[in-house]
This record gives sequence, C-alpha cells and structure tokens, in this order.
Amino acid sequence: MSESQNGNRFPFYGPQGRLILVDSALEAVSRGSTTIGIKTPNFAMIASQIKPTHPLMEPSEKIFPIDFHIGATGAGYIGDILQLIDTLRLESQKHRLTYETPIDIDSLAKHLSSFLHNYTTYAVRPQAASMIVVGEDQTGIQLYQVDPSGTFFRGSGFAIGQASETALDTITKGYNKNLSLDQAIELGRKAIEKALGEKPIVETGIIEPGKAFRKIRTEN
Amino acid sequence: MTTIVGIKTKDGVVLGSDKRASKGFFIGSKIVQKIAKIDDTLAVAIAGQLSDAEYIIKVAKAERRLMELRRGFPLSIREATRLIANIAYSGLRNYQPYYVELLVAGVDKEGAHVFAADMSGAITEEDFASSGSGSPIAYGVLESLYNKDVTNSQASEIASRAVSAAMERDPGSGNGINILAIQNLQKEAVA
Repeated sequence: MSESQNGNRFPFYGPQGRLILVDSALEAVSRGSTTIGIKTPNFAMIASQIKPTHPLMEPSEKIFPIDFHIGATGAGYIGDILQLIDTLRLESQKHRLTYETPIDIDSLAKHLSSFLHNYTTYAVRPQAASMIVVGEDQTGIQLYQVDPSGTFFRGSGFAIGQASETALDTITKGYNKNLSLDQAIELGRKAIEKALGEKPIVETGIIEPGKAFRKIRTEN
Repeated sequence: MTTIVGIKTKDGVVLGSDKRASKGFFIGSKIVQKIAKIDDTLAVAIAGQLSDAEYIIKVAKAERRLMELRRGFPLSIREATRLIANIAYSGLRNYQPYYVELLVAGVDKEGAHVFAADMSGAITEEDFASSGSGSPIAYGVLESLYNKDVTNSQASEIASRAVSAAMERDPGSGNGINILAIQNLQKEAVA
C-alpha cells in the first residue's frame, strides 16, 4: 500500500518494509562524530572524536562515566546522547538500590535496547543516537553497541558515526586479543584519524578489571 | 512462635526448623514445612505469618528466575536477600508490614551465606542465626556448639539440637524437626 492511499496514516513502514523513522535516525547517527570501542580480555576502551569548535568554546564531553565500573559514549545528536546517558546512569543506580550490587553490562545494554525500542513502536521521534557501552562485571570485560532500533551487539570492536565503515575496517585489521592498552588506544586513534582523513581530537575512556572507569584526553 | 536456625559452614549452609503452627494456645498444625527452597542454591526459613512469608518467597522466586534468564547468571545470595528486604521495607513504610522474620541462606560463587531479614527491612549477615519464639533457647545451644570449622553434617546435628532444645521449653515450637543442608554450589537434603 502506498503512502498516498494511506491518507494521513502515520508512515511507520516504507514501501520496502523498512521503518522510515528508524532509518532516518541511523542516517543521522552516520553523520555524527566517529566513535569506536575495542575490547580485549584484559581491558576495554571507547574513544570518540570531539568536533572542533571555535577557539573560545569548550568542546563538549563525549565519554561518560555511568557507574564505577561502566562507561559509555555515543554518536548522533548530542542532546539525544545525553538523555540516553542519563537513562543508563539511572538504571545503574536503580539496580544498586534493588540488589545492593553493581549492575552487569548485559542488563544495562538490554535496558537501553528496550528503552530505544519503545521509540520505534509509537508515532514519536526515534532517538538519533547509537551508543557504545563498556564495563566490567561478574562475566568479565564487556563491550556493547546499541542502535536507535533497539538492536544491540556484543563484541570486541565497534565503530559508529561518520565514516564508521573505514574506522571499523582499521580496527578489524589491527585487532588481536593480545593488544596492550597503549596499542589499543593508538589503534582507536588511528581508526578515527583514517575515517576522518585528518588528525582528530579524541576523548578516550578505559575500563580495566577491578579499577574504576577513567577518561583521558589526547590532544593533536 | 516457631524456632528456626541457620548455620554457615565450611562446605555450605544448614537450615533447621520445628514443625508447629500455633493458633493462639492451640496447635494449628503439626506438620508445617517452614523451610522453603527457592531453588537449588537458595532457601528461606520462615518465622511469623506464614501467608506473608509465602507471598514474599513467591515474589523472590519469580524475580530470581527472571533475573537469571535476563542476564544469564543468577542473583547472588546477597542480591536475593536485598530484594526480599526491599519488599519487607516497602510493606513497613505503607503501614502494612509483612509479619515475618526470615533466614535467607544459600550458596553462590562467593561461597556460603546466612542472612537474617525482618519486617523492618533490615538485613544482617551472620555465621549463625535463629529466629522465632524459641530463638533465645536455640541461640544458647548455637553459641556453645558453633565454630567456624563445622561441616554441613556437623551443623545439621547442631541445628537439630538447637531446635530440640527450644522445643523442650518453648510452647510455640514442637512436633519434630526439618533440616535442609545446601552444599557449596550443589544441594543435598538431609532427613
């Protein structure tokens, strides 16, 4: 059924059976700043390009601590990202209140997934943000990517945002389980640089077993 | 009324209880099961209003299964106890308290745990604990016989003696003993 026949019915599905609004959200994400995540058995890191602003403006934060043992970043509209970050922080603290223990990364990613999925079932605007979540729990170091559709992935390397295919390609080629933390940070920086074709300003977040999530800023 | 005891041991936990349900000065039942298994690694001993306890245990059981399915590994004993305590606390704050005192005992990846949870929502972790009207008597036995190196079979004997002592002098307790022992990460029921 074409849209014209539908009259003023809300166009969830396009003619190809794709969710138009979700596709648009993904399109917005693919114009966001290049953002990556790398996981090995010993640590995980996330990194995001900080878009250059004018000299008098402080660049906005892109790596967010969620809880002691979790950090997250995202690509897309920064306003949407900040809302999702707050959702993650709230859910982490709720888990601590209910069970008196830190939340596991899988539960958190699933919560974010169902939160985003909600926006795909009603006539609202899906959130234009893909998120990468890292953390350590009982099951070890974990890395997740969650998309505006609510789809989530667990893995060892992810890239989202502008030219993410190029970035993911660089990570896939440079990845092995025995990477040191410094090598991974360098690989992440290189992936973002290759994707953008210029030296980026990158913010990095790191999680290691038993240690708090921490951020570093690498200028140049 | 009731006497229940919980003991943490070298190789797991042991719960013990009597079998009497009192209706005032009348013995309402002589075969009450006051130890409820939530699953193979977690059990709860009940003192107080049976219906309240059963409700809390049912909710805890469901939440525990749900959580295990969702995140792929089970709730720890502390997490399960906190969940139960939260239910009790919300009851207290709504002026409809659950009239229960529970001993939550089980084993998880960190080892064996015994928690005492009451209607106020407070929880304490103990090496051994007792609850119910017979608990002062049971505690006397536990205090003199317990040491940190007891095994499950020794603790089953201690729990049994503590409950029998209480049954001798406490009119709210009697009609026999139930013992449940849980081995570290596998369960074993004793008579």
